[in-house]
Amino acid sequence: MRVDTLETPIAVPAWRGWQSLARRARLRRLGNQSALVAFLLIVSMPIILPYFWMVVISFTARSGGVSTDVLWTACAVVIPAVLIYSVVHLMIPVKTVRVLAAIVLAVIGATALASLVGDKLHWLNYRFLWRANIIEEIRTKATAGGQFPSVWIAFRNSLALAVSQTLIILAVASLAGYYISRFAFRGREAVLQGMLVLHAFPAMTLIIPLFLILHWVGLLDTILGVMLVLATIELPFYVFVMKGFFDAVPWDIEMSAMTDGATRRQAFRLVVLPQVRVGLIAVAVFAFIRAWEEYIFVRTMLIENKNWVMSLYLFWVSDDIMGVDYGIVAAVCVFYVLPSLLLYVFCQKYLTQMTIGGIRG
Amino acid sequence: MPDFARAQVRRQRANFALFLGPALVLLACFFVAPVIVDVVLAFTDMDRTLAVTQLTLENFERMATRDSRLIASLGLTAIFVLSTLSIFNVTFALLLAIVTTAVPKALGAFFQAAWLLPRMSPSVVYALLWLWVVDPNERGLLNQILVHVLGMAPVDLRGNQPLLVIILANGFIGASLGMIIFTSAIRSIPEHLFHAARADGAGSLAIVRHIVLPALRWPISYMTIHQTLSLLVSFEYILLITGGGPFYDTTVFSLYAYRRAFENGQYAYGAALSLILIVIGVVAALGMWRLMDMRRLLQPPRIEVH
Repeated sequence: MRVDTLETPIAVPAWRGWQSLARRARLRRLGNQSALVAFLLIVSMPIILPYFWMVVISFTARSGGVSTDVLWTACAVVIPAVLIYSVVHLMIPVKTVRVLAAIVLAVIGATALASLVGDKLHWLNYRFLWRANIIEEIRTKATAGGQFPSVWIAFRNSLALAVSQTLIILAVASLAGYYISRFAFRGREAVLQGMLVLHAFPAMTLIIPLFLILHWVGLLDTILGVMLVLATIELPFYVFVMKGFFDAVPWDIEMSAMTDGATRRQAFRLVVLPQVRVGLIAVAVFAFIRAWEEYIFVRTMLIENKNWVMSLYLFWVSDDIMGVDYGIVAAVCVFYVLPSLLLYVFCQKYLTQMTIGGIRG
Repeated sequence: MPDFARAQVRRQRANFALFLGPALVLLACFFVAPVIVDVVLAFTDMDRTLAVTQLTLENFERMATRDSRLIASLGLTAIFVLSTLSIFNVTFALLLAIVTTAVPKALGAFFQAAWLLPRMSPSVVYALLWLWVVDPNERGLLNQILVHVLGMAPVDLRGNQPLLVIILANGFIGASLGMIIFTSAIRSIPEHLFHAARADGAGSLAIVRHIVLPALRWPISYMTIHQTLSLLVSFEYILLITGGGPFYDTTVFSLYAYRRAFENGQYAYGAALSLILIVIGVVAALGMWRLMDMRRLLQPPRIEVH
């Protein structure tokens, strides 16, 4: 029927009908999408707002209470900007326009923020980075001198723990992953199944016996002991991740290396290992972040303050001066979060490659 | 045995020790040994002095007959796990996955990144933010909104509704893992199915009901088991946010075992309590590897040369 009207000379009104139909469909789609974005914005607020607050007070709070004027002023600038950009993004599918809109909005937002709250920003809360006894200075009465180590000691401990744990995991998991991926040996199925059970098994339940074992072998309250425990309880997961990467390497290159006279070990080291570079990076980044953020095990197994890692430093700082000085606590938070967050953002393309049994880790 | 065969056996053993040895030693020392230690410990009377004087069944007797706090913590655990799981880790995760895949890709990625923030930030930081949000003062973020925007009286959620706080805090993290896994499952649905459904006149809800949900049946059942187990054994955020309190009001079972051992020094009793979790863990682990693709994992290797 429609086709008939299209072919007749009076096709113009019908054609207009299509136009308005399309317009209405587009409008309805825009309405639906805006509703969905609005829904997401509302349910995400409880997450975005606290993190935003943390950053804002780390740059604005002064000793004593905490004023939130700056937070709400900043929100009044940022939220409209995000909303306007969302509408632009939904309505205009052209990339250059979108980028242009983003830049214009960012410039306007930054100028508005600078003029409204610019004079309230300061670096004072980050002075814990260069003044060793900052916590004692704030709480002269309650805290004995030297109770808090410099933040750089905690930073160094965290770094030592995370780096050594990562190196152990890289070495052990790639060796084991390669072996169970490529070698035939007696008991292979038993090893695989045992490791699968350990992988799914919640290691948190073993915290009491692990504490005692470290105590008995004299590794309690040492970075080395915690490092071994953390490396082991995550090991089955990394072995399977590495096995997955080795499984994906074609057999042909190994075969040809061996027909050229290489031994299995040489083939592994010189030919196969370079092929799983992405897997090694993914495992390294993930293992580093996990150790960097660990709390329960370090809380239980590290006691003396010279062994504190960043999570313990932050915990005790907040425990001590939470009510007195929000700004410093927030600044320590930002300092602590930043390395792992940057790693996540910049290594995301490696992390998404990790799969195990069809489940992304 | 001819010489080359003996050499081959020797090389096989050397390879086994070289490649698998380090992993097996570590796992034996810090994974298998702790399980055995825990089982033995449960039958002893180790206390704060870390000395064992006798083997006894006293811990199990106490669990079965004399510990009323244990029963309370079991009930609490059931409420905590079931409500966090059903509200956030599955339902809300599903909602997030469906909505973020329905909006344009850049916006969806932005909101997914926002939801991943709690998972990416250290637990101490995340817990501190919750303490700020529910601060009973007028300074607390929640109270500022309640007082200044809605004109209500300030509330003390941590003191009066501690269970709600730990469910929310754990749920906001739990939702993101489900969101990622469900999103990748939705993205792997062939595009033409959506077009075909649209052409057949299906609305958005019908598409969710008849195309998206059936494709998610396997991920949902996997997530349910996985998250039940992890909620059952993890107490990190509870310890950081409420410390299990006020009094024992938010002390779930796993935290109860931890507090008995490290707060009261009753290591043997804590080990006996953990034993229950270990048994649950082993059963769930066995159940979970049935769900995995075993045939592909156990595929035999193709080169027999060592």
